[in-house]
Amino acid sequence: MAFEAAQRTGRVWLPAAGFGLFGLLVLGRLVQLQVLEHPQFAAKAASEMVASDTLYARRGAILDRNGHPLALTVDTWDVYVSARAWRDETVAVDASETLAAAIGGDAFAIRQQVRDHESGDILVARDVPFDVGRELEKQGVPGVSLLPNIDRAHPEGDLAASIIGFIGADNNGLAGIEAALDSVLGGTPGRAIFERDSAGRPIPLGRYVARQPVPGADVVLTVDRTLQELAERELRKAIEEHKASGGTLIIMDPNTGEILALASEPSFRYSTLDLSRDDQLQLLRNRAITDLYEPGSVMKVITAAAALDAGVVTPNTTYVDTGVAVVAGVPIRNWDYNVYGQQTMTGVLQHSINTGAIFMVERLGAERFHQYLDAFGFGRRTGIELQGETPGIFRRPSDPDWSPVDLATQSFGQAISVTPLQMAVAFAAAINGGKLLEPHVVKGYVLPDGTWRPVAPKVIDQAISPQTSNTLREMLGAVVNPGWYHPANPRFYTAGGKSGTANVPVVNGYNDRQIASFVGFAPLENPRILVMVKLDDNADLQTGTQAAGPVFARVVDEALRYLGVPPDKGPEADR
Amino acid sequence: MATLGRPIARGGTAEAQRHGVRFPAINWWLVAAIAVFAVGAALPVLQSSATTSRGFDIRAVEQRQAELRGEIAALEAQIATQSSLERIRQRAEAMGLHPAATPVVVTVDVPGPEPARIPAEYLPAAAPTPERPDSWWRSLLKWLPLPE
Repeated sequence: MAFEAAQRTGRVWLPAAGFGLFGLLVLGRLVQLQVLEHPQFAAKAASEMVASDTLYARRGAILDRNGHPLALTVDTWDVYVSARAWRDETVAVDASETLAAAIGGDAFAIRQQVRDHESGDILVARDVPFDVGRELEKQGVPGVSLLPNIDRAHPEGDLAASIIGFIGADNNGLAGIEAALDSVLGGTPGRAIFERDSAGRPIPLGRYVARQPVPGADVVLTVDRTLQELAERELRKAIEEHKASGGTLIIMDPNTGEILALASEPSFRYSTLDLSRDDQLQLLRNRAITDLYEPGSVMKVITAAAALDAGVVTPNTTYVDTGVAVVAGVPIRNWDYNVYGQQTMTGVLQHSINTGAIFMVERLGAERFHQYLDAFGFGRRTGIELQGETPGIFRRPSDPDWSPVDLATQSFGQAISVTPLQMAVAFAAAINGGKLLEPHVVKGYVLPDGTWRPVAPKVIDQAISPQTSNTLREMLGAVVNPGWYHPANPRFYTAGGKSGTANVPVVNGYNDRQIASFVGFAPLENPRILVMVKLDDNADLQTGTQAAGPVFARVVDEALRYLGVPPDKGPEADR
Repeated sequence: MATLGRPIARGGTAEAQRHGVRFPAINWWLVAAIAVFAVGAALPVLQSSATTSRGFDIRAVEQRQAELRGEIAALEAQIATQSSLERIRQRAEAMGLHPAATPVVVTVDVPGPEPARIPAEYLPAAAPTPERPDSWWRSLLKWLPLPE
């Protein structure tokens, strides 16, 4: 068998060239994709495969000074319903009834809520209790899914609500300590990165935590829950008794600036809080630090402290009260239109004589008096941790409308606006040896690792000398214990203090409304507490001594007994 | 059909018996290769199985941990509520107690008890329990570059 020799031809190169060209194109494309554009495609691939999730840090607790919880974080669930899954009426009815039985509410209303939406997951309940949600999860109700959330529990109910504040739907603090120390309480969220499958589900072991969440620190307040309860109870009682529109009661340690209790009325209640109502928003402010008032005769204590410290008077310096002092042609009378005749400076405080305060401030002069007002912290914020504090205001000689009458009226607490806390802090400086302290409601922090970080008392200024302070304390003791009945005199403890009754300023004068207050301390020799009672707009028009004085006396007796301070007067002191 | 040209003696000789049934010689190289192949094929399966199993274990433990945290928080809140001032007052009233009108003060030279500190989350953490040793085949997984 013979084969014909193949003829040499060039046609074979045509497909070879075609394949070669195709190969080159493929190669070029591969280089483009895998080398030149590698970073973009690698990132895109990673974004398809990898997802991340925020790991929420646990919010720290708020405790009272003895470790009793005032606000705690509890786990809750937000309940969502898939609108698509509930398109079937039978499924929707069964599921909604199961859901309503578990979380409360009306099954029909839940169905209506879901029907309003075409698709997506509809939030039907927020912050469902942890055990209820877990039971629901076990039941596997069709179309219902639960997402974990947190809420704040308040074991003491509405106690200290104006200090603690609250958190919002996004779990950030909105008021009180919750807002002021939000970053401390909230901690730092973590981040988890995980590989996911085509359905977006995490692949087992494809997850790692890029950043661990750091839980928030626990905040320990200086507030004592028992004293806070006492303050709130006594304040409510006084407001009711004297038909006042509101008030403030502060108990503080005059030696450290620690606020042991701070009650403010009206205030919000956790149980009735509704932020959609305007009248509720008015209740959010803590009136002890946000609202200004004219302190009235309590200010005579500061005037006396300044005059004694400057050496222009002594407790026994005398002057003759004629019932009126004429300043720049303007007659200024005593609050009760009385004439007291010859009086000592102690007598001025005992009888709360306006002309006596004017006598002292005229000896001091405006410049020195205002230097003392600065030293006592008036006209600037005290520095307490709570938000929304106002600095207060008083007129100075450099102001355009200044008049010598302003100086005279400032000496007895008119023409000067202060916050209740500012007045309490200044009063504390007057009787604690002269130290102006920064008030604080935070005693310390418990860090996530258990470390205790205390907040140390902070001295801002030496307002007056310790000797002046001692002298003033004795004078204030004579006010509360003048030798006759005084409503602010506690039964079991020696005390000192001063009342104030001031009209409420309006444009071009004052109206008939008044603010009655009493600020005092006990025991007299070694003060453990300072109590500030203020009643706003008391309709019975009783004075500070009559309306706020008895509240002071009751609070002192009960608070010092609770603090374990032995009585220093009365039958118990003689045992 | 083929036939033997000679009869086989009954019982046969020892030589004949020795060469009558011939076993193939074992190629140990082949056996070793098959074994390596089998192990090589089984190892990824084992690895994948163990990985998946551990992944699910971890998810289950994480879920349990979250549940326990939730329970602890709920219990803490419950304890705090039980020891709240309102609850104490209710219990005191139920026991017929009333606030003292006139205090009686007795001075003693013994310090009072330390107030109870709650919640218990500030107590020292319990000593960790030692982990159970892994089975030998699980320990092999440690050699693999799996994420921790």
